Amino acid sequence: MLRLRNISKYFTGVKALQNVTLHFEKGMIHALCGENGAGKSTLMNIIIGIHQPDEGVILWNEQPVEIKNVQTAQRLGISMVYQERSLVDSLSIAENIYPVQTPVVKGGLIDFPLLFRQTQQLLNELGLINLSPMTLVKKLSTAQKQMIEIAKAIAKTPSLLILDEPTASLTHSETEILFRILKNLKDKGVGIIYISHRMSELQNISDIISVLKDGKFISTIDSKTPAQEIVRLMVGRDLESVKKSSNVQMEVSLEVENIRGKGFRNISFKLHKGEILGFAGLQGSGRSAMARALFGDEKITGGKILKDGKILHLNHPSEALEHGIVYLPEDRKAEGLFLHSSISENIFSAQLKKGFYNAAIADDVSLKLCKLFSIRTTTVKQHLRKLSGGNQQKVVLAKWLAQEPEILIVNEPTHGVDIGSKEEIYQLLKYMTAEGKSILLISSELPELLFLSDRIAVMHEKEIIGILNREEATEERIAALASGIKTTKMYICK
Amino acid sequence: MHKYILFVLSLFVLCCEPPPRYESSNYTTNLTKDKFVTTNEVSPTEEYVMITTAVNLPLYVSHDQKAFLQWGKKMGVRTSILGPSEWDVPGQIATIEQVIPGKPAGLLINGTDPGIASAIKKAVAAGIPTVVYDSEIPNSDRHSFIGSDWYEMGRLQGERMASLIGGKGKVACMGILGMENMEAGFKGLQDALKKFPSIEFIGKYDDKANVEIAARLTADLLAAHPDLAGIAGFDSNSGPGMALSVKEANKKGKVKLTTVDAEPEHLQLVKEGVISFLVGQKRELFTWLGAQFLYDMRHNTLPLSTNDARAGIVPIPRTVITGSIEIDLSNVDFFLQNAGKK
Amino acid sequence: MQIKERLQDRVFSLAASILILCIIMTFIFPTQFPTVENFSQLLLNLSIDTIVAVGMMILLISGMFDLSVGSIVAFSGGLAGYLMYYHDVNFLIAIVAGLSGSVLIGFVNGWLIAIAGINPMIQTLAMMGIVRGLALMLSGAGIQNFPYNFIYIGQSKLLGLQAPVWYMIFIVLMFSFLVNRTVFFRRYYFIGGNERAAKLSGIQVEKMKIWAFVISATLAGIAGILLSSRLGAALSTSGRGLELRVITAVILGGASLSGGFGKIFGALLGALFMALINNLLIIGRVSGYWQEIILGIVLIVAVGLDQWLIRKMEK
Repeated sequence: MLRLRNISKYFTGVKALQNVTLHFEKGMIHALCGENGAGKSTLMNIIIGIHQPDEGVILWNEQPVEIKNVQTAQRLGISMVYQERSLVDSLSIAENIYPVQTPVVKGGLIDFPLLFRQTQQLLNELGLINLSPMTLVKKLSTAQKQMIEIAKAIAKTPSLLILDEPTASLTHSETEILFRILKNLKDKGVGIIYISHRMSELQNISDIISVLKDGKFISTIDSKTPAQEIVRLMVGRDLESVKKSSNVQMEVSLEVENIRGKGFRNISFKLHKGEILGFAGLQGSGRSAMARALFGDEKITGGKILKDGKILHLNHPSEALEHGIVYLPEDRKAEGLFLHSSISENIFSAQLKKGFYNAAIADDVSLKLCKLFSIRTTTVKQHLRKLSGGNQQKVVLAKWLAQEPEILIVNEPTHGVDIGSKEEIYQLLKYMTAEGKSILLISSELPELLFLSDRIAVMHEKEIIGILNREEATEERIAALASGIKTTKMYICK
Repeated sequence: MHKYILFVLSLFVLCCEPPPRYESSNYTTNLTKDKFVTTNEVSPTEEYVMITTAVNLPLYVSHDQKAFLQWGKKMGVRTSILGPSEWDVPGQIATIEQVIPGKPAGLLINGTDPGIASAIKKAVAAGIPTVVYDSEIPNSDRHSFIGSDWYEMGRLQGERMASLIGGKGKVACMGILGMENMEAGFKGLQDALKKFPSIEFIGKYDDKANVEIAARLTADLLAAHPDLAGIAGFDSNSGPGMALSVKEANKKGKVKLTTVDAEPEHLQLVKEGVISFLVGQKRELFTWLGAQFLYDMRHNTLPLSTNDARAGIVPIPRTVITGSIEIDLSNVDFFLQNAGKK
Repeated sequence: MQIKERLQDRVFSLAASILILCIIMTFIFPTQFPTVENFSQLLLNLSIDTIVAVGMMILLISGMFDLSVGSIVAFSGGLAGYLMYYHDVNFLIAIVAGLSGSVLIGFVNGWLIAIAGINPMIQTLAMMGIVRGLALMLSGAGIQNFPYNFIYIGQSKLLGLQAPVWYMIFIVLMFSFLVNRTVFFRRYYFIGGNERAAKLSGIQVEKMKIWAFVISATLAGIAGILLSSRLGAALSTSGRGLELRVITAVILGGASLSGGFGKIFGALLGALFMALINNLLIIGRVSGYWQEIILGIVLIVAVGLDQWLIRKMEK
């Protein structure tokens, strides 16, 4: 039904998709999986008309088509289920499900009785008999909203239905309902693309599974394939045995005892001086929430944080800063940088000491830091928006280093950074550990974690499911743990 | 270093010029300087400036400004009308102060708020003939004031109201509370009504010069006092507001209304019989005569001494009360025709 | 590079425009415009607006604004006047009372906006009405006859320039220095540039927002005292329309509605530019009807230019 041939897509400096060829048939549930950044979302966006491919052909029913926008995709019969993002809280379920092609009376006014009946019918068909079409969406739980998103997509009677991590906010019973709906649709001849990280689900619901990695198509396999094999396909690359150095000391700089908060629970670990403790896990596993809590940006509702033996109560990032804890956020543009300010202004934005600001001294220090970090720029008065992603990230690092921290929490430090700067950032992190600083490294890039970390903690469903030592950590083990698969071979330590 | 800074600072402070104290006499015996500017020729470019607030207010445009412009044409001199379009008194002050350096032939200033006194003083001190019209501004040293007598306006309303309601019943009044001239009007009304022991004055109310508020107040009064005999209004919007509520309550003719101003809407209401009596202002006289005073001062039209300017004599009337216009059904047509021509 | 310079140096381009405008006006009105008298009146009438504009600039740098400043100007003068006239209170205490009231209003504004999360426009709009009502209650139809000591503050002259002008110069210089050179005030640029990143850089955003509103209200209070002292009267209509004039001036002076830009000196130049236009209209005897239209056009041009330059920068 839908055939993609040699699809490629480039974003500035990054090859999101390379030569991907896939075939989606009607009446089949075709699962798609791969690591973060493998290209799944980009591919879906191309199918649904949000992006256009730079190379390659899309064939619909063996006819070449150009899906210029979402309306074109909808006209072809392609429909996508979003993650609750497309609902309007202040309107009813019925109005949300039928925002276009709302049934109208002769004068052009909305025919509410008909609308509600139609919606109720749809909800019944889908087995969502507990929901009333007149209820306002803002009264629904997250899981219910997700079900309405699904209903909305199905209301368009699509020929191809795409679902992107649909069960992220669903409970077990709702997932059952979803699977029933999907099986029904499949029997009716609808083609379904199902994206998920959850191995058990994929094996349960799908007929075939395709694996993407680093923007390339790897292979399509039967869904009965064992999970381990699937994971290996997702991650497998030549593992070089790299000489990894370690600066770990005996002294513990940060001890976390059973902390919990919004988005994480039962987190306990010890961070040593000079250690890089990596944190792996899927989207939504709770790493960022935990990291922000350690920085004072989120509340901790239970448990203790100890630094140098003293309990810390962090209510605001400024307090974390005073204790020498710094945080490099994952979205530097939204959370870490001041794009309209200059390099030296950015570097000094976290300055704790009050008093007078001497532009000359600031520029001087910034220049030295730029040299140290190999930030390529003509002048420190340069506005940050003009720098490349890699240089921007280095400025953020410089900003924190200027405050002489003891503990660095870095979240996706090389996200959107070119290879050259990546290496430099790795050097910098290693250098800091040599100086006795501790690093908590959150990353979705397994090679990066393996290269840098002394230990790797894996989070799953908001808890630490296991901590691996350097020797026993492999990509497959990490990916498996992250997906929730524990085997007896795992060495779980806290 | 510190001594040097101290020295400079003290020089600075010595240059400080304190403001004039009010206790000192304004009429100095300085005989060497002219108190105001005079000239013998009439130049077509000599300029008379009117400064008001709410420069677009229909009341001002169709009476004050119209007359002023006519006068200018007749005398062959320049006239300008300046001021903010909102009721922005500080804006009026800023305008006055920025016109002074240009030394116009004369200033005609609408007495909107006692706060403009200091600006008027500056104009007078600069030697510009200055006339205040409409409302008096105390402590301003203005050369002349021309306006209505608000006490009289209240008294006229009181006397007419008494005869309209047959000398007995409840009467209320409304206007802007706290404004000097209106308070004088209220007093005039009350004093006139006091002569009739069977008339009960139930109070004065603030309509904030707003038609909707005036209407709402009237409705409330009618509800609270079903036997209300009459209401007197004191600002431009009182009349239309009161009339609206009286019509809506079907009390036309049963509750007698009197008010000030004679704009087309008021005249129409008199014709309809909703309002029985209007006390109008002779606003055209404010500006025509006011401008003429300025002209006469400047051109020494009627000298009272060998040199009025040097001797400190003001050769124009200090205060002029123009009197009021009384309008009722018997003469309203004369004004309606006039209004049509406008 | 050129465009960037121009945006960064709104101060420069505005100063140049003002100079050009002055030269043009000298040619058109050679006898009326370039006189000491005219300039000193111009500066005097400019001073109240500018003092308020300094506070507004700080707010706009951090991405917020305050619509209640006009009412605060009326309120502080009204409160001081009320105490002196009806209760024979010593003028110093009356001034302190007026200023304290303003500080309190600023604190309430700041607290409700920063901590309770009320939208700044809605909060300050409501406060505008509330404070105006208070000012009306205090000053009624207007209070005159202030004690001499009080009037001295606003009406004494130094080197030919009346006192408010000197206060304005002092405030502009002081805040210019503070905003450029102290860590505390520079943080407002970060709050305006990226509030989330500012918090994650350890900046106490909520506290600083409250301070900004307190400063704005205090400056408005000072302006109110100076105004009533200068006029010798507390008017209930003082400050009507002030907030929009000040916001226009501040945007002309280089602030951006989205925050993160602007210099204190720019606020002075923006107000000066608008005062020059006003002066031009009065000297040119342009009717009052046109004043509103022209000032509106100036605002659209100012904001439009601001938007256009931002878009150009983003390309």
